[in-house]
Amino acid sequence: MTEVTISTLPAAPLWAFEIWRNPDAVATRFAAAMGFALPKMGTSGGSDALRLIRYEPTVWLLEGDASALPSILDTDGALTAIGGGITRVLLSGTGWRRLLMEGGVFDAESPAFAVGCSASTIIDHVNIRLHVQSEESCLAYVPLSYTQGILHFWQEAAKALD
Amino acid sequence: MTGPSRPNTDQDSSFIFDGMRYPARKGDTLAAALLANGIGLVGRSFKYHRPRGIMTAGVEEPNALVTVGEGGRTEPNTRATDVFVYDGLVARSQNRWPNLSLDFGAIFGLAGPVFSAGFYYKTFFGSAKRWMFYEHFIRKAAGLGNAPRDADPDRFSQRAAFCDVLVVGAGPAGIEAALEASEAGKRVILVEQDEIIGASLIRDPQEQDSAWVSESADRIRAAGGRILTRTTASGYWEHDLVTLTQRLAEPGQIPANGVAQRLWHVRAGQVILATGSSERPMAFPHNDRPGVMLSQAVRTYVRRFGVCPGQRVVIATNNDDAYLTAHALREAGAQIVAILDARPAPAGQANGFTTFNNAHPLSTKGSRHCLKSVSGLVDGVSKSWDADLLAVSGGFTPVVHLHCQAGGSLEWNDAAQAFVPAQSRQNVKTIGGAATPAAIFTSAPVVPAKKSFVDFQNDVTLADVDLAWAEGYRSVEHLKRYTTLGMATDQGKTSNMGALARLAEKQGVAIPEAGLTTFRPPYTPVTMGLFAGAAAKDAGAHKRRLALYDVHAAKKPIWQPLGYWFRPRAYPMTGENLAEAAMREARSVRTAVGMTDVSTLAKFEVSGPDAVTLLETVCATSVGKLAIGRGRYTFMLREDGFVFDDGTVWRIDENRYLLTSSTGGADRMATHLSYVRNYLHPELSVSVVNVQEHHAGIAIAGPRAKSVLAKLIGEEPPRHMSTVATKIADVAVLILAASYSGERAFEIYVDARNATPVWGACETAVVAEGGCLYGLEAMEFLRIEKGHLVVGAEIDGRMTPHDLALDKMLNKAGGFIGSAGLTRPALSEAGRRQLVGLEAVEGSIPEGSMLVTADGKSPEGHVSASAFRILEGGSIALGQLADGFLRHGEELIATSPTRGQRARVRVVAPHFYDSAGERYRD
Repeated sequence: MTEVTISTLPAAPLWAFEIWRNPDAVATRFAAAMGFALPKMGTSGGSDALRLIRYEPTVWLLEGDASALPSILDTDGALTAIGGGITRVLLSGTGWRRLLMEGGVFDAESPAFAVGCSASTIIDHVNIRLHVQSEESCLAYVPLSYTQGILHFWQEAAKALD
Repeated sequence: MTGPSRPNTDQDSSFIFDGMRYPARKGDTLAAALLANGIGLVGRSFKYHRPRGIMTAGVEEPNALVTVGEGGRTEPNTRATDVFVYDGLVARSQNRWPNLSLDFGAIFGLAGPVFSAGFYYKTFFGSAKRWMFYEHFIRKAAGLGNAPRDADPDRFSQRAAFCDVLVVGAGPAGIEAALEASEAGKRVILVEQDEIIGASLIRDPQEQDSAWVSESADRIRAAGGRILTRTTASGYWEHDLVTLTQRLAEPGQIPANGVAQRLWHVRAGQVILATGSSERPMAFPHNDRPGVMLSQAVRTYVRRFGVCPGQRVVIATNNDDAYLTAHALREAGAQIVAILDARPAPAGQANGFTTFNNAHPLSTKGSRHCLKSVSGLVDGVSKSWDADLLAVSGGFTPVVHLHCQAGGSLEWNDAAQAFVPAQSRQNVKTIGGAATPAAIFTSAPVVPAKKSFVDFQNDVTLADVDLAWAEGYRSVEHLKRYTTLGMATDQGKTSNMGALARLAEKQGVAIPEAGLTTFRPPYTPVTMGLFAGAAAKDAGAHKRRLALYDVHAAKKPIWQPLGYWFRPRAYPMTGENLAEAAMREARSVRTAVGMTDVSTLAKFEVSGPDAVTLLETVCATSVGKLAIGRGRYTFMLREDGFVFDDGTVWRIDENRYLLTSSTGGADRMATHLSYVRNYLHPELSVSVVNVQEHHAGIAIAGPRAKSVLAKLIGEEPPRHMSTVATKIADVAVLILAASYSGERAFEIYVDARNATPVWGACETAVVAEGGCLYGLEAMEFLRIEKGHLVVGAEIDGRMTPHDLALDKMLNKAGGFIGSAGLTRPALSEAGRRQLVGLEAVEGSIPEGSMLVTADGKSPEGHVSASAFRILEGGSIALGQLADGFLRHGEELIATSPTRGQRARVRVVAPHFYDSAGERYRD
């Protein structure tokens, strides 16, 4: 039996971090101020205090304390609060990859989808962003309105993962 | 009929067939168990109700169709050869009355000449009413099993999978291919529709034995490969996407984990088809009796299931393979009475059986339940043998369905008299028996065409093919549709080649020149629930819940689906129905105050120095002159100039705007904005973020709304179309002063996670002012009376700004999407439908009704939304009417013939309440 635990995490400050101009300069300012580089497409970066997941060419999902970012962006981008509309769901256990294949279209079982990788995908018709925390856990960002539906879907699917 | 290798085991089970309980052995198919219990008659044929038995041992079975399971788990038309017995299985025969043995429907067999090909077309013509009469009797008399009336209690799963190599078919060739690929480090999926892999090696032992199968499976799994049994590759789509249908429980069985079946979407780097071939029957009179079986199937029952289907056996063949069956039967203790080999001597003579060359089966005799004798032609001389089993082998048809579904072509293999895979259009190759079928001897025995069945499932005979030809049906596709050849659950797996050969013979051409019908998914029947997946239980999609769902649910509202959302339609008090509750709520808004949840509105934050440029591209109104803290109504056009959505735009900071639009169009608007931002204007310094769910929205409306809000925020509320950022219940909120109801109103936006205390504070204040909650129904009454538009009703994709009287608001500078489209002359011509108001002169105006000048005249418009005046009473409506602006005062008829409703209406301006807009201005 493949095991997976599905748990909803407490609300966290979430932002859309977008760069519309001078991306190299912003990246340089960001790395200098934050101590790590802006993550590339399909990956995440940062720490427990501030994590960024790049999910569009110019947009990152940012989780954590964003107080330093407006000055880094200056007039080259914008920060927009989006946390009210997103639920964080932690999938833990050896079965999280297989669970994500249920109703999915994305190869979560690929070894290339490794720790530190992220994806923006559709699961059972719902747009969900994924961040691989470890080999045994993955964080899913689920639209608030679909949270109950997706939790129920995952809980039922987890019973028959094989 | 119990074979020698069928010992009892402690895992035996029992099943019920037509009300009788029988024993079965673990691993039995229902067909094997029925044969083991001496049951030869399993079903009745589709049209003539002829007695039918078990013909094959696989999914190609055309005869032995049964209904399995009870209640919602009932599965009709299940092949007895494709269901494995479990303890308690309940199966019923089909298409018979009152019972299988005594079926009154068999009378149709006596009238067989009448029911030839095209019988329906030739008989049931005339008016549609007549057909409705005929249909009742036709459906009673002919057909398959009945669909269950109860809902299926089980769930269906859909799962994605990716692999480097997908191998379809776990015979020896498939197992070898999967093993090689997996041990080469590739991600491999091996699928097999049987319960076990390598089953053909039990039927035909080779060097590879069951130990090899077991070891290979272990090695495939150890290398990371996945083996799926009871899984059928049912469809091959573009880009090497293959759909698999997996049975996690047998038909009618209670699934262990609640999931009965799983639909896999497999995206494969390469697909290897090791699908083998199906044996072909032979056409001769009465070739459909119970006791006439395919040769390989007989061998399978003997060697795999330990069941010997007959003791005195005649075998008819045109190839060597049938001699393997003869050996298997002899080992099982059966007597091989005769082998009729179509080939000339000395073919087959060395096998030590009584073999007749140049021999063909001619007919059979028997009862409803079993075979009694077989007659044949040997060198043109008729002979007869007492026999209880006739095993036939007319050659082999490669299973090329998936290859063809993938767009591959076929070529004719003359030796095998079969089509084999040729060119592949996708990354697929065919191996094993499906690529290289065994050679056969071709001969065209002259047998009577009547009762010589080619399609057993649809009761199509050689005579039907001949008749279709005689009546001018030349194309194989026409032949199929005229005779029903190759339709229904088996899709012609055993019949197509026989019929094609007959058609070619009639045409005087070689078989490949006669053509071939199209192979379409699914390969075997797929239950509809599997396509729906988990959503089968939930109207096809997840319900979207409001952030304040629990707050509403506690008040037990009447819910209304709105797209995927569920919103309160009304909050009835004790004893109120929907209409009463909605009217009470609407009156409260008109006379005091009301509050409602508007969280579902589309909302976008547009920020950056180029925000105005983007907004003035998307919106057809001007935005640039908005001061900070101000907002305005706006609408958006498609490129062709038609209105497709509307909303408001608010300047909430120097370079930051909030754009709202309709709930129903939210996803479309998000796509549109992304298109404009990323494709039309990637150069802009602007960010567009969808914040629809980030903000919960609460609207407070009514003449006392201002005083309610003043108490909530402790300051003067913003004037109409102004905004302020403040706090309610110590939670940060953004307040927009906008009205949809026609009253002074405010929309309060709050981080959805913190919405509950804000809602609570607002509700307390509203109730204290004598107000109440209102739902969608009251909102609809209010906006119709005010003459406000809604997307999907008045904004239906066919109306221009001018049609909706919005043209005065167009941005005169142009440059917005749709501005060019608007200049097309046709959009300014007379006769266009225009927005009007309608008030009833007599009766209530039916929503959706047609507007006509008199009964019998063509419609000149329609009613898009109807309601009642909230305070004064009286039926009113909004509608679209040809040249409507010029027809105010005219009387029309609003008629809905399908509902039998009509009303006399007068055309008026589309504003029934406060047309000057004085009530929402201070």
